Amino acid sequence: MKFDPYPHHRFSRRQLIKYASLSGMGLFLGSCANEASRVSPIFKPLNQQSGNVRALFEPLNQSIEELIFQAKNPAPEYPLSAIEPNALLINSYDITPLIDPNSFKLVIDGAVNNPMQLSMRDIQTLPLTSMVIRHVCVEGWAAIVQWGGIRLYDLAKLVQPKAGARYVYFESADNYYESWDIASALHPQTLLAYQKNGQDLPVENGAPLRLASPIKLGYKQSKWITRVTFTNELFQQRRGYWVEEGYEWFAGL
Amino acid sequence: MSPKSPNPKSPPAPKQAIFIKAFHSINLIALILMTASGLQIYNANPVFGGRAGWRFPKEILLGGWLGGGRNWHFASMWVFSMSLLIYGIYIFLTRRWKHRFASEKDIQALQAKNPKRKNYAWHRIAYTAIIPILLLAILSGLCMYKPVQFAWISGLFGSWQNLRIAHFLTVPIVLIFAIAHIFLSFKVGGFKMIRSMFV
Repeated sequence: MKFDPYPHHRFSRRQLIKYASLSGMGLFLGSCANEASRVSPIFKPLNQQSGNVRALFEPLNQSIEELIFQAKNPAPEYPLSAIEPNALLINSYDITPLIDPNSFKLVIDGAVNNPMQLSMRDIQTLPLTSMVIRHVCVEGWAAIVQWGGIRLYDLAKLVQPKAGARYVYFESADNYYESWDIASALHPQTLLAYQKNGQDLPVENGAPLRLASPIKLGYKQSKWITRVTFTNELFQQRRGYWVEEGYEWFAGL
Repeated sequence: MSPKSPNPKSPPAPKQAIFIKAFHSINLIALILMTASGLQIYNANPVFGGRAGWRFPKEILLGGWLGGGRNWHFASMWVFSMSLLIYGIYIFLTRRWKHRFASEKDIQALQAKNPKRKNYAWHRIAYTAIIPILLLAILSGLCMYKPVQFAWISGLFGSWQNLRIAHFLTVPIVLIFAIAHIFLSFKVGGFKMIRSMFV
């Protein structure tokens, strides 16, 4: 699967899948036999079972991921010399939104005692955490990156999640959305980052604010975050953009 | 069967324990599923060359896209690793590992002049050697699947790229083994022998 570097000139992934399935029906009706013959006859029936295979095994995989996840155990950190500045590839599902950092406000709400709105200036006066970690993409590549920002844990101390809060939702300016289990969200290396490799976060990497973490796959680390919502329940139809497309929800490393 | 075989020169068909036949078939299917879905994952970002790298043809891929490939890979890994684990326990309990796998005797047989013994020895060495390769596939896969939780073993591979290469290389190695395995078992026992491993 290839990500599109110029997405606003093309279809979004969701549209693409819609059109692809329509053209798939075309194949079924035999309108273009050439294309159909390129699909393996052995694996074609199995490909159609991918959703069922996921439904069968993902609960097992997730329960084991949650079991082995150690909330207090930090992921390895690397020296600054280990940073691979060119290894971090840019992935985005749709547009690259431009946000004015001067008028930007981060909303933190939901199952919390003190809902808040913070400007970038507010966020930058809070303690800065810096880490050099391995960022792992679902596609298989990885990059050693330095991220600087505020720990979600430190923000949670300010807003005080209620006792029943078990999940955290992240909404982005490009309409991307993700949800995390609260233990991973409050891990000491889960940051809302505004620095990358010692410099201000570039807009294509999610400026002004993005999630950065060594304990989840890259697609869990939303860019251009505008809203953080603590909740007691997971909305089954809105667990995450890529999760709806077929990636794992927990996606822990 | 009568004690006198109609053709005394033809040796009896080899017999395998039902458990071994079952394991052999399950392992073969699991390996095909693991490889086909693994190559689907490979194509999302080729180990060699990254986004500009060469990709495997669609015909041999399982999953349809990266997400589907991952679903199949992380489902088949259970079938693959658990059947291997149960097999390991079985060969340990039955002490099969002592007399069915390659040993020093086979190394000696390779130096001897008896060609039949040489074939037996090569055959045993081939199917013994593959066991550590299958274990390496599981280990390197686990190191990429959960690099933080298994940081202590992931670190042994040095870099992420080394880890990806090690995991990927198990595919051509297993493929070469499979070809050698079929060829050698045919040499050792003919079709009867191959048949005996499945039905």
